[in-house]
Amino acid sequence: MTRSKHSKKEIEKVLRYAEALGWTIKARNGCGHAWGTLLCPDNSAECRCGEFCMTSIWSTPKNPDTHAQQLRRVVDHCSVRKMREAAAMLGPAPQDQE
Amino acid sequence: MEYTFTLKFKLAESDSDRDAVVERLGAAGCTDALVGTGVSGLLALEFAREATSAQAALVSALQDVRAALPDALLVEAGPDLVGLTDAADLLGVSRQNMRKYLTSYPDAFPAPVHAGAGSIWHLASILQFLMQRGHDLTAPLVEVSEAAMQFNLAKEAPLMDRYGEQLRSLLGGHVA
Repeated sequence: MTRSKHSKKEIEKVLRYAEALGWTIKARNGCGHAWGTLLCPDNSAECRCGEFCMTSIWSTPKNPDTHAQQLRRVVDHCSVRKMREAAAMLGPAPQDQE
Repeated sequence: MEYTFTLKFKLAESDSDRDAVVERLGAAGCTDALVGTGVSGLLALEFAREATSAQAALVSALQDVRAALPDALLVEAGPDLVGLTDAADLLGVSRQNMRKYLTSYPDAFPAPVHAGAGSIWHLASILQFLMQRGHDLTAPLVEVSEAAMQFNLAKEAPLMDRYGEQLRSLLGGHVA
């Protein structure tokens, strides 16, 4: 991987975690407020995380720790990933019934 | 106090350049928000904002977004409109647990905003119900759910005409 490193170490750590799970990171290489973008590997019909399948990474967030946690939550809450994990544990995913 | 909430907007056609949109949000002080642009034409911001009250947090966030994107329309503020699963996730309990409240207290459980295959409630009403049953809920979540509800109600209010005004007295205190 040849992308540049994020200067905040807690954010860089989350980016590596996301990459290990197949997310793509597009760095904008040093211009402006946004450092780059985090892209979900599963932006498909059954994926319901929607807007946050494409999430901006700030270069200087107001609070780097909080920003890192927010990014981490997006990765962990990816519904396709959750479904796959549930399927691996329980067999076919149950239908959601109200 | 730090308040966590989401504001979703419909973008104007002229705001189709996502990088430019994000840069303007950054310049307007929204670097305490996670910006999601995965659905074209929509913008989602998950704020973690320091403020003296939830209301102040939501209002200042809306002002910042308005300054950056004057033509964006607010779609929804959250956490407000939730299904049982969403409510359970926010409270860190299982969906079965939430469902048990619904089935065990059919009279006391708040009325939904939409009743159907996937019923929807105002989160604030569910939190009220749980607090009346002695649950100790975190203050920021309660406050932020009430502020978000006010935003969503205010957003819909202009749709109400004179006929709607008349209906209000008929509906009386019947609203959940």
